Amino acid sequence: MLIGAIISGLMFGLYFTLVGLGLNLVFGVMRIVNLAHGDFLMLGSFAAYWLFTLFGLHPLLAAVAVLVVFVAVGLPIYYGVVPRLLVARDSEMLSIILFFGLSQVIEALAAIAFGTSERSIPGRVLGSGPVSFLGQRLPSAWVFGAAVSAVAVACVYLYLYRTRLGTLTRAVMVSREEALATGIDVHRVSAIAFGIGIALAGIAGVFAPFMLGSVTPAMGADINVAAFAVIVVGTLGNPLGTVIGGIVYGIGLMLMQTYLSSWANLLPNLLLIAVLLFRPEGLFGRAVRRA
Amino acid sequence: MRDARSVSGLRRVFGDLLLAGVVVAVMAVAPSVYSNQLLLFNFVMFLTLSQGLNVIYGFTGYLPFGYVGFFGAGAYGFALAVMHLHAPPLAAMAVGAAAALVLAVILTPLFRLSGAYFAIANLAAAQAVYEIVSNPALEDITKGPYGVSLSGVFAPETSYAVSVAILAGTLLLVVWLRNSRFGLSLRAIKEDPISAAMAGVAVVRGRTIAWLCSALIAGLVGGAFAWQISVFYPETAFSAQFSIFAVVFTLFGGAATLTGPLLGVFILYGIYNTIGITVPQYFQLIYGTLIVALVLFLPNGLVSLLTKRGIRVP
Amino acid sequence: MSPDVMPLLKVEQLEKRFGGFRALDGVSFHLAPGEVLGLVGPNGSGKTTCINVISGLYAGDGGQVVFEGQRIDGAKMHKLARRGINRTFQSPKPFLSLTVRENVQIAARYGHAGGAPVDLDALLASLELDRHADRPAEDLNSAQQKTLDLARALATSPRLLLIDELAAGLNPAELHRMADRLRVLADGGMAMLVVEHLMGFIDRVTDRVIVLNAGREIFEGTLAAATRDPDVIRVFLGGAAHA
Repeated sequence: MLIGAIISGLMFGLYFTLVGLGLNLVFGVMRIVNLAHGDFLMLGSFAAYWLFTLFGLHPLLAAVAVLVVFVAVGLPIYYGVVPRLLVARDSEMLSIILFFGLSQVIEALAAIAFGTSERSIPGRVLGSGPVSFLGQRLPSAWVFGAAVSAVAVACVYLYLYRTRLGTLTRAVMVSREEALATGIDVHRVSAIAFGIGIALAGIAGVFAPFMLGSVTPAMGADINVAAFAVIVVGTLGNPLGTVIGGIVYGIGLMLMQTYLSSWANLLPNLLLIAVLLFRPEGLFGRAVRRA
Repeated sequence: MRDARSVSGLRRVFGDLLLAGVVVAVMAVAPSVYSNQLLLFNFVMFLTLSQGLNVIYGFTGYLPFGYVGFFGAGAYGFALAVMHLHAPPLAAMAVGAAAALVLAVILTPLFRLSGAYFAIANLAAAQAVYEIVSNPALEDITKGPYGVSLSGVFAPETSYAVSVAILAGTLLLVVWLRNSRFGLSLRAIKEDPISAAMAGVAVVRGRTIAWLCSALIAGLVGGAFAWQISVFYPETAFSAQFSIFAVVFTLFGGAATLTGPLLGVFILYGIYNTIGITVPQYFQLIYGTLIVALVLFLPNGLVSLLTKRGIRVP
Repeated sequence: MSPDVMPLLKVEQLEKRFGGFRALDGVSFHLAPGEVLGLVGPNGSGKTTCINVISGLYAGDGGQVVFEGQRIDGAKMHKLARRGINRTFQSPKPFLSLTVRENVQIAARYGHAGGAPVDLDALLASLELDRHADRPAEDLNSAQQKTLDLARALATSPRLLLIDELAAGLNPAELHRMADRLRVLADGGMAMLVVEHLMGFIDRVTDRVIVLNAGREIFEGTLAAATRDPDVIRVFLGGAAHA
């Protein structure tokens, strides 16, 4: 049972890495807190649901469509609000309030458009029957979701470390002022990072019906807490630290569900508080405490 | 010069007290001219909660996204005292208030975090309390997810009167914070804690007092809520809606003022009751849009339209 | 320092590390009432860190600070303010939404270190802030905000004032007046520790200087003597080569 929990925890860990990755990328580049992250994820879920229900589109194709559309939507959102936020005296705090407002708008529009009932996509769409992995039998949808997550994380790595734009993005993450001074088009780099950030949320959303169960317009709030727990356990502002956070979170969740199932919902909350208080720099990295 | 200052200071205090007195008087006599007492209670509740949130957010800059945690602690403290100790309602309210204070003390380490992380950690803390209270494993104590029924103490008139008294006390506290040296020191801490410390202000102590006052208010309102409605579920008492509304009303009107949160409640909760109850999504859409617009164009709320022109608003 | 005056401040073997970096590596000095000591040295030599540790902003990692015969290292900033130690900041952060008068009122009310109460109107007038007394601090320019930071410190009637880069950003006339003001305060018995890059200002204000390099004291004496000291010359030329 322990081995089973750990292996499924690894699968979910990869998925939760994807859930948190975009949030952390946005934080790392812009030092703003996108409290609408969970709502962009929800929109990805509904995109996958409707593309499947209306056109029978496979989630993998839906993910590609979500990637393109969300990046395109992210750019105008960035230019509309973020530059104004960044000049404010307390941009982190204002960003959390503004994106909270945006999350309410998205949730309301989704509820008006789609209704508030729960939606799901049958798991067999991602392959039938359980898959054997290290002697454990796992639903093939989980394996599929984990694999897609791993590919997405690898793509973000390649983007950040193997492309010119990615190198500039990392430069902005190290120091926005220095990047400005060296003539980097900081807003262009940030806008693209913002688009990628919400697209990653959208892709995580496409697989949410398989990994998290049915989806509703109101799911964003819970996702936000989980995503924050993941990136705080990893390291705020370090996208690849998210992998650590995701895996710790995934394994922790599966262990709780196996041995203490009635208290499993406490995990993201307590993990988040505990790490913020006792190890605010994450397992390795930047402090968020005030002097 | 000095006399002129103290005269204008007295005038300011008088203006603040007058506004607080009018609001309390209106809410106190309202049940005799308007029959929907539950709706009036909800107004009193949000007026008080918004001002309670104002105490910590407006005067120290820390935004408690999980403010409902104290409200829920107050409601459940009340319920547990009635169910298990057969306490009379006022004693049960004291238990609720104590529960909120205990939670606030447990959460004081969150002040080590800077603003945005404090807000998120506080949200997580409120959810954690909800998960504990609603857990089926604790059914013997809290009734878990099945909710509590306190019909034995149901007394809507009395609990309404008590809630108006809590509102009065809360408004007095805000008037005092706005006009006292202690309130001034809190605003200094909000502006810059290091400069404040070097000015001799005990930063940790000041923040903690504001935090405990704010939690106490929410705990008292939670107790009054439990008493007023007498049957409720954990997801009612810990509904994120309470935090969200208190935050939105305060931001909309303008934090750190007496008028701002009052305006926010009367205008926005008024709109909510006109259009929001049947289709809550439309109200959510309205306040979501308002928040985005406020942060971008009017970060200090409605009252800043006047204060920016040098007009003092209570 | 004449031996018959009991030192107001004794700093003994003060140490402060940031990770592996030794910002202060055993700094010691004494300061008598009314004495003005300059702290000079290249960037990163530990000058500001020294002020930050003495004022309680950072906890030191070793050594001790004794003020008026009592150890004060580890005490909280607001307690130090009330005991008579105050400071200015290199980048001041006044309470921007409060008026200039409220800025100093808070300090006088909460941080006063004893003795005669401060006449805040006279204090603001002496620093040429009286015209702005009822305006919010955010209306002030950066030089005025620095002056307000000094006013905030003086409103507590400190017996030891730590000054971190007060002169930067002031024009020559303002600089002269500021130096004269500090001399008047020192003649009234206030001890000062002054960190400053402008040597002209150091020369006008201080009685003697300590030269720091890499967290260690390499010279103590008058500024004139320091400029002839071979170690000091080497450090400053080395620092200049880096800059």
